[in-house]
Amino acid sequence: MLNDVTFGQYYPVKSFVHKSDPRIKLLALIAYIVALFLAKNFYSLAICFVVVSIAIIFSRVPLGSVLRSIKAIIVLLIFTAILNLFFHGGEHLLASWGIIKIYREAIIFTVFFVFRLFFLVMGSALLTLTTTPVELTDGIESLLTPLKWIRFPVHELALIMSIALRFIPTLIDETNRIISAQKARGADFESGNIFKRIKAIVPVLIPLLISAFRRAEELGDAMDARCYSGSKNRTKYKKLKLSWRDLIITLLFASLITGVVLLNIYADRIFPEIYEFIRLS
Amino acid sequence: MAEIEENIIKFEKVKFSYPGSENIYALNGVDLTVRKGEFLSVIGHNGSGKSTLARLINGLLEADGGKIEVLGMNVAEGKNSLEIRKHVGIVFQNPDNQMVASIVEDDVAFGPENIGIEREEIGRRIEWALKAVGMEKYRTSTPSRLSGGQKQRIAIAGVLAVKPEILVLDESTAMLDPKGRREVIEVVKRLNQEEGMTVILITHFMEEALLADRTVVMNRGEIVLSGTPEEIFENGDKLEAYNLCLPRITGIINTLNENGMNVKNVLRAEELAVSIAENFKSKGIDRAASPKAEDFAIKSDHEFDIDIKNLSFTYSRKSAFATKALKDIDLHIDEGEFFGIIGHTGSGKSTLIQHLNALIKLPQAEKRYRKKRVKKGQPQPVSPSITIGSYDLTQKKCDFKSLRADVGMVFQYPEYQLFAESVFSDVEFGLKNFKKDLSKEQIEEAVRSSIEMVGLDYNEVKDKSPFDLSGGQKRRVAIAGVIVTRPKILILDEPAAGLDPLGKKEICALLHKLHEEWCRTVIIVSHDMDEIAENCTRAVVVSDGRAVACDTPSNLFSDGASMRALGLDVPLTSVICEELSRFDININCNCTVKDFTDKVLEVYGGKNA
Repeated sequence: MLNDVTFGQYYPVKSFVHKSDPRIKLLALIAYIVALFLAKNFYSLAICFVVVSIAIIFSRVPLGSVLRSIKAIIVLLIFTAILNLFFHGGEHLLASWGIIKIYREAIIFTVFFVFRLFFLVMGSALLTLTTTPVELTDGIESLLTPLKWIRFPVHELALIMSIALRFIPTLIDETNRIISAQKARGADFESGNIFKRIKAIVPVLIPLLISAFRRAEELGDAMDARCYSGSKNRTKYKKLKLSWRDLIITLLFASLITGVVLLNIYADRIFPEIYEFIRLS
Repeated sequence: MAEIEENIIKFEKVKFSYPGSENIYALNGVDLTVRKGEFLSVIGHNGSGKSTLARLINGLLEADGGKIEVLGMNVAEGKNSLEIRKHVGIVFQNPDNQMVASIVEDDVAFGPENIGIEREEIGRRIEWALKAVGMEKYRTSTPSRLSGGQKQRIAIAGVLAVKPEILVLDESTAMLDPKGRREVIEVVKRLNQEEGMTVILITHFMEEALLADRTVVMNRGEIVLSGTPEEIFENGDKLEAYNLCLPRITGIINTLNENGMNVKNVLRAEELAVSIAENFKSKGIDRAASPKAEDFAIKSDHEFDIDIKNLSFTYSRKSAFATKALKDIDLHIDEGEFFGIIGHTGSGKSTLIQHLNALIKLPQAEKRYRKKRVKKGQPQPVSPSITIGSYDLTQKKCDFKSLRADVGMVFQYPEYQLFAESVFSDVEFGLKNFKKDLSKEQIEEAVRSSIEMVGLDYNEVKDKSPFDLSGGQKRRVAIAGVIVTRPKILILDEPAAGLDPLGKKEICALLHKLHEEWCRTVIIVSHDMDEIAENCTRAVVVSDGRAVACDTPSNLFSDGASMRALGLDVPLTSVICEELSRFDININCNCTVKDFTDKVLEVYGGKNA
């Protein structure tokens, strides 16, 4: 049932992207998303695509793994695409069946929309494929540090996240063990209607919860015994360090945003005939 | 040497009771002093107050009465608690529940970070601590991929990184296999001897307690005996009154001496062999051989034999993490056997037993299975097969449900699978799943008899919540929940793990009773070679997914060297036999303690000299 021991989708290879600082990767992703939403035409979208392609090439992650992440949103993508296609208005009517009318603008907008979402998911997938959950947590903690000024418990939040990550494999193992044990006692998780199945989960859920609480209690004791007393006077061993890679990434994404903004303004001067045809209303 | 005499921990008439049970003292007037650099072991039955003692030392618990001083600081004063925790490191039982980070070095850094050590110094401490536990190669590994012993060593490193003067191990070896246990104990011994660290080792294993300078025995919240291990284990009868067992070796010595021999009270197998040989010599026996051992005979109708052929299994076959867990296993287990499965954690034992009740189905029995076409010229691939009695596990149509009712499976730490609101409904769970058409009376009768079978009082426990029972009772209830369907084959994965010596003995007795009265075949998975030697008719050694050897204990352990080469232990009796053979004394016993002492006495009596 829960066969996958590894979690997250980290793809373990060594590459330029893998080695760069998680903070910069997070910021780059944010910049990329901003660029995608700033993009007002296909030209701007195209340079977003160019940038994400460069990133994918230098990450040495197979394209298949990146594309696989689309699966998660495919239903949403198709559903919204269809709605857009049928109900987005426009000037050039192409076909109509009753209340459903398809305009040229609708098609162009739908294509634009689909690509934008597609690129968005590709970018986020690339981050999780090249960054371990631990690195991500460290990066998030470091980025949130300024919030300490408004007494936001950054350290505690990061510790909670890191403990959660630490216990995911342990709890998956435990769940598998309990499922096997109850199966050995004749429990049936695979047949029956929805109510029967929910009822069948109880013998797994209760032992799991009890064990999670027991673990939490023991972990608390162990942390106490190792002198944990909150974030006061605490030092941090791991420090993230910026390198030349991060400079390159920063430059790349800075130029991405600049490029998108410039293309938004001056797009009509590049191949005006084509632009006029694919212009979004 | 004046420094060594310094008392580092002082307990004066310490009392403690847990909230909710104020009139039961977990500790009742304990006086104890620990000297600097001392290696103290604390033994006692479950619930004797050992763990409470550990938690009081560094203020995780607060005493109700009396006074505790650590390094001259009073633990009761709140301002001291952090300072004391810097000097007293505790390693707990479950290594999984002590780690906060997903990377070894981050976890080791946690302690020093908490007390505000400089970054560079933390780096040095990580290096030192990991080296001290022999794990420096694993600095950037993930704990979840390490073995139990390795994890526990990381936990020790995490505690060491704070640079404590006192190291407390609270049953830290209880959940480990013998190899892991050896690793941890070696580390602890070295820290004590080379770094001069004060060590308090709380344990169930009498053999570990022997390593200490001094041993303290606890019973019902009181310290009842204290002295060197030799002194403690001379008081055999007393120990039994405190619900403890003698180390096996002391048991053997006592039996020999009660029957006219004069063997020295030693704690190591080699020394015992020397002493036995001297005894023989003084009687003029310098060369002896006992007759060949008789193995347990089994009576069997062979109606419910287990037959495994060519069994291989790979986890996550198509992913990058594919691991071969089983490789070409051929195994036959007769009906009526008390069969043992031996091997390390991760050797494939659990995968093997899960095949026996189709928790892991053979590929041919999977719904989606299609026969692969074989290219011309290539041999037909051998496919695995398992038959159990009349069940053919290669068939999709095999009645897996009734198979699971006939092959009962008790997993490791089965008490963690209890879930129902009362003992009765937890035990009846399996029965109701397997047999839908039972009347209320039939169910009640079956539940009653299985609860009574495991040695609990039906009327007393049936309405109790299983979570209110003691550890040993919980395990019994869990076993009752499996045997309630009266399986013909009962498989138990480490049935005695984590129990105290008395609990272990009781579980073994229960298994024999089950074997005689209810389940024709009993299969146990165990790390404990003595347990295998004492109980099993035959055993298989699984190593790295292969069945390396399958034989009676006496044959299996007669070749001690090859067992050790696999990193496995050898039962005490066969170690002594091995040592004795150097003196030209060949005792051919079936590896049980009783048979060994009988044979030695027989030779000593001169009958077969």
